[in-house]
Amino acid sequence: MRMRALLMIPALCSFVAPALGSVALAEAPPAADPILTAMQQELAREKSDLVIPGMLRPYFIQYRLEDIHTYDAIASYGALTRESENHQRVVRVEVRIGSEVSDSSSARGDGSLELAPGDGDPAALKYALWSATDDAYKNALRAYAAKQATLKNFQSAPTANDFTPAKAVTLIEPMATLTLDRDDWKHRLIEASGLFDTSPETRSFAEAVEYSSANLSALAVNRYTVNTDGTVLRHGYSGYSETVSVGGQAADGMELGRSNGSVAATATGLESAAALNKRTIDDLISFNDLRHAPTVDPEDYHGPVLFSGDASADVFNRLFVPNVEADRPDIGTSARTQGVYQSSYKTPILPSFLSVADDPTMRSFEGHALLGAYKVDDEGVPVEPVDIVVHGKLMNYLIGRQPVKDFPESNGHGRAMLGQSAHSRAGVVIIKSSDPLSADALRAKLLALAKEQGRDVYEVETMNGELVPRLLYRVSPDGKRTLVRGAIFDELDQRAIRSGILAAGGKPYIAQQVGLLPETTIAPELLFGDITVRRANEEQQKLPYYPPPALPQN
Amino acid sequence: MTYTFPEAGPSLISPDSYRSAVSRFDFHQKLFWHVLIVSLCGPALAVVPTAVAQDVGSAQSAAVASSMQQPLLMDAMGTELQRALTELGSAATPVASSSEKVLAQKPYFISYTVADAESVTITSQYGAIMNSNESHERTADVQVRLGTPAEDNTHGAHRSSALTTMALPLADDRAAIERTLWYATNRGYGKALDALEKVKTEQQVRAREEDSSPDFTEERPQVDILAKESPLSVDRSAWESRLREISGVFRQYPNIFYDTAVLQATHETDYFVSSDGTKVEAPNHVARLIVAARTRASDGMDMFRDETFEADSAGHLPDQTEVMAKTQAMAKGLNDLRTAPITEPYNGPAILSGRAAAVFFHEVLGHRLEGQRQRGDEEGETFTKLLGKPILPEFLSVADDPTLTNYNGYPLSGHYLFDNEGQPAQRVQLVKDGVLQTFLMSRLPIAGFANSNGHGRAEIGKMPTGRQGNLIVTSAKTVSDAKLRQMLKEAARKQGKTYGLYFEDISSGFAVTTRRSPQAFQVIPLVVYRVYVDGRPDELVRGVSIVGTPQAALRSIVATDDQPEIFNGLCGAESGTIPVSAVAPAMLVSQIETQRQAQGTSRPPIVPPPPLDDVASASGSPKGGR
Repeated sequence: MRMRALLMIPALCSFVAPALGSVALAEAPPAADPILTAMQQELAREKSDLVIPGMLRPYFIQYRLEDIHTYDAIASYGALTRESENHQRVVRVEVRIGSEVSDSSSARGDGSLELAPGDGDPAALKYALWSATDDAYKNALRAYAAKQATLKNFQSAPTANDFTPAKAVTLIEPMATLTLDRDDWKHRLIEASGLFDTSPETRSFAEAVEYSSANLSALAVNRYTVNTDGTVLRHGYSGYSETVSVGGQAADGMELGRSNGSVAATATGLESAAALNKRTIDDLISFNDLRHAPTVDPEDYHGPVLFSGDASADVFNRLFVPNVEADRPDIGTSARTQGVYQSSYKTPILPSFLSVADDPTMRSFEGHALLGAYKVDDEGVPVEPVDIVVHGKLMNYLIGRQPVKDFPESNGHGRAMLGQSAHSRAGVVIIKSSDPLSADALRAKLLALAKEQGRDVYEVETMNGELVPRLLYRVSPDGKRTLVRGAIFDELDQRAIRSGILAAGGKPYIAQQVGLLPETTIAPELLFGDITVRRANEEQQKLPYYPPPALPQN
Repeated sequence: MTYTFPEAGPSLISPDSYRSAVSRFDFHQKLFWHVLIVSLCGPALAVVPTAVAQDVGSAQSAAVASSMQQPLLMDAMGTELQRALTELGSAATPVASSSEKVLAQKPYFISYTVADAESVTITSQYGAIMNSNESHERTADVQVRLGTPAEDNTHGAHRSSALTTMALPLADDRAAIERTLWYATNRGYGKALDALEKVKTEQQVRAREEDSSPDFTEERPQVDILAKESPLSVDRSAWESRLREISGVFRQYPNIFYDTAVLQATHETDYFVSSDGTKVEAPNHVARLIVAARTRASDGMDMFRDETFEADSAGHLPDQTEVMAKTQAMAKGLNDLRTAPITEPYNGPAILSGRAAAVFFHEVLGHRLEGQRQRGDEEGETFTKLLGKPILPEFLSVADDPTLTNYNGYPLSGHYLFDNEGQPAQRVQLVKDGVLQTFLMSRLPIAGFANSNGHGRAEIGKMPTGRQGNLIVTSAKTVSDAKLRQMLKEAARKQGKTYGLYFEDISSGFAVTTRRSPQAFQVIPLVVYRVYVDGRPDELVRGVSIVGTPQAALRSIVATDDQPEIFNGLCGAESGTIPVSAVAPAMLVSQIETQRQAQGTSRPPIVPPPPLDDVASASGSPKGGR
């Protein structure tokens, strides 16, 4: 498996990659795009001319131009407070000095950024690339010298090379566009954020709604990449998300809020206006329910908790995904990666009935376009489905072109956030059970546990990003659900997902984010056997010092 | 704590400034992050009714809202402010573990400031447009003061506890505006309560303060509703063409590795209401064109030049011919500077050009005459004890006059009608015949000065402090330019020097006015010539930096010329970035000490810039020289 022999390239001999061959993924000839042409011309010039006499030449250069188009609108209390649209191009230049075995790169990622012309002027684009290349080269020389000096302090060599070679790839995809009826969406946001006051269902407690806002965020990114492997890429993505946030305080001052939304690859994939209004009213009602809900028991609860698919996806995104994304270990250590699963290869990390794969080639699921899907990663490597966990055992990490011990090759997961260097990141994570239970069966199992243990149990519907429950129900053995507030989870950790999951459902929930990097996680409901539910001991905020202005008479 | 003032001048707007080459990168990152913030943090922003809007973006609804039914906004502000005054602190609140109830604190002062701003920003570089945006934003600053004017929640280091900033509805939706103001006021009141408690405790345990002035001045109410601004109108495509041509000039200069030309035009209306009865609505409009460029000498020294053009609207900026001529001259000057000899340490006579003297006075004198710098444990108080004493030669006087819209027909950017505390702008005679008369006062009193003189200025989202507007230096001892030059040579000869220095252009570095740092100033000379005593032609030198203490430099001014020059720019300090002007004649200084500036060590770019031959130039710039 090791490719070390191949990689023992003298530092001064550069640009071996084109010798590795080339793969074309699209019929369209790459030269047609003037932006790519300008990038290739400047890359060729730098490749031949960029060297300080007596110093190392780069062995790898990559240019990436990002064309970023964003649109945001926010409404609050039924009025638009902000609308902004921005279109910006940025070039990022990565220069590597040394060799694949040991080069100038750091764990953080390297490279230089410059603004690029928005009007496509090739001279100004080359000028920006030239300027960034000069910076990146000088930084790489300094970083290489510093790194080689640091390495001399350690007895053992790093556990893996710094970089893997890749074949040249050509991929030209259609351009991503930002397509959106702005006026229509502004009206939707204005209407939704004003519902607390205008809808008959919520009017009775409108005074208690301290904030009510709705926003829409749209993003279309087109990425142009050329590198000295000979790779030429033009690919992109778009993402649209709308969010509603409402909140206020309970009578004891506890701050309570509801915030949720939809995310999709196209604006039409978002929820309809009617569904947005319905959801907002539901959020307002559940906010009001929370205000009147009892606080969770002051004494700790340890026992079964049923997590909805939504909540389960949050658990996996926080506890599992970051730990299978292979990050380079700290220099001088013999670890495989960063994170809790660094020495868990081929050992159980989940119950044996669960398997997890990452399959960015899957473009849709049950009719929903998946945001985490892509063909070629941001380092020019075609992606393949990866079986991460098979019957509970960790069999693979997600890897980019920065190899780790036992995993010398990229599996196409080198993904970059806007303006950043590529790191190993998930695309479309799917958690599946070999023994899925129906929703009814799962609930029956929860109630059976309640009866067996002779006490109430819990069920969580939604959480915030920090795994703090938003909608948490106490469930009595006879199936009665009571909304409670003011709880946090404890002992919800890697041990809990390794040995504490009793059963999984069969109804997958699709959690998507445009966020810093578009990602999808598909998870079933999960029944945990022993989670701690504890009262949050936060300071209670003061209630408003004076009442809000009287609402207009509708 | 050390305050640094990224100071006066286009340097502040222009992405690239006097700072090291790093700033260029920072700027890009900032811009870039800006994009990220806009696109990615939507949900976070939605949690509360929005933080201060920061971005530049288009706004379809923009032009619609502002000009129409403005009385509604002002009226809603007034109504909600009255309601807050009446209701806050009127209810008795129960006290824990006691059956007693205490009456809550009533605010003694509340003000609402709303800035309704439409703006257009177009950025170009190397003959291409990088970014072109328009935006419309409405932002509210709510100020809540608790306690008494003698001691309130803003005391000492708690100054910002009075302020809460929030984005307001862009349209005149009364209910939403009032509810947003309520939300901000309620939060602000909570913050103020907390701060007042801290102030009281701190005052108990500390030693007596040197300056025991109150925390807030009492002022007469002002009521003035000024004519509305016309909506912003900028011909964006015409300006984009102009900017392409302007920044395209730099394609002829392969050694200038960074350039930018930026147009910013803003029409703003500021609304102010306060509990002491002030009600002011005033327009504020400005257009600014900045051209900046940077090069690096072979020894790693970075050099920077800029040109700024200022007017009340984009249509009134100088025509393209004039801008092109100045840009060409600047580019050529910068290119020459790259190969100029490096300065040697020097201590002798020098002339500051009018423009250089204006920046010098803004930095060295103006900032130190800001009222708030005369009190507080951290302030240097350079001039505090010099009131009524000579600080300049007696032929010099200095005033700050924001009421002036122009000087000799040229627009001044430090003009305003009301300051950010609702006080009318006033001409303030700071120095008369060399003697210090007063300070630049906001509503923060200092010993001996109990009132504002209309200089409480701030960027939206910051607490106002005493700041400069149009700083004007006048001289009663003027000579012609030729005579001043003659005097320089004579002074140099007398001191046994072979040359005197002529500072044609300086950019401000930063002024350090805090107690723990030496009272030094740092202004960065951009263009300096040696003027030889023996009649040799003047020689351009690079790498000059000025050292010394402010008072010494100010007192050694010997004479001035008779042609004042104007410097328009942006000035940054604790209360944010605001437009300012400074006007001064050229000055002969008998003694100025210079040294070689600290410089970068990076090589100039290794590979020459990309050839232009395969590209049709956007501006038709010459393609020769490569």
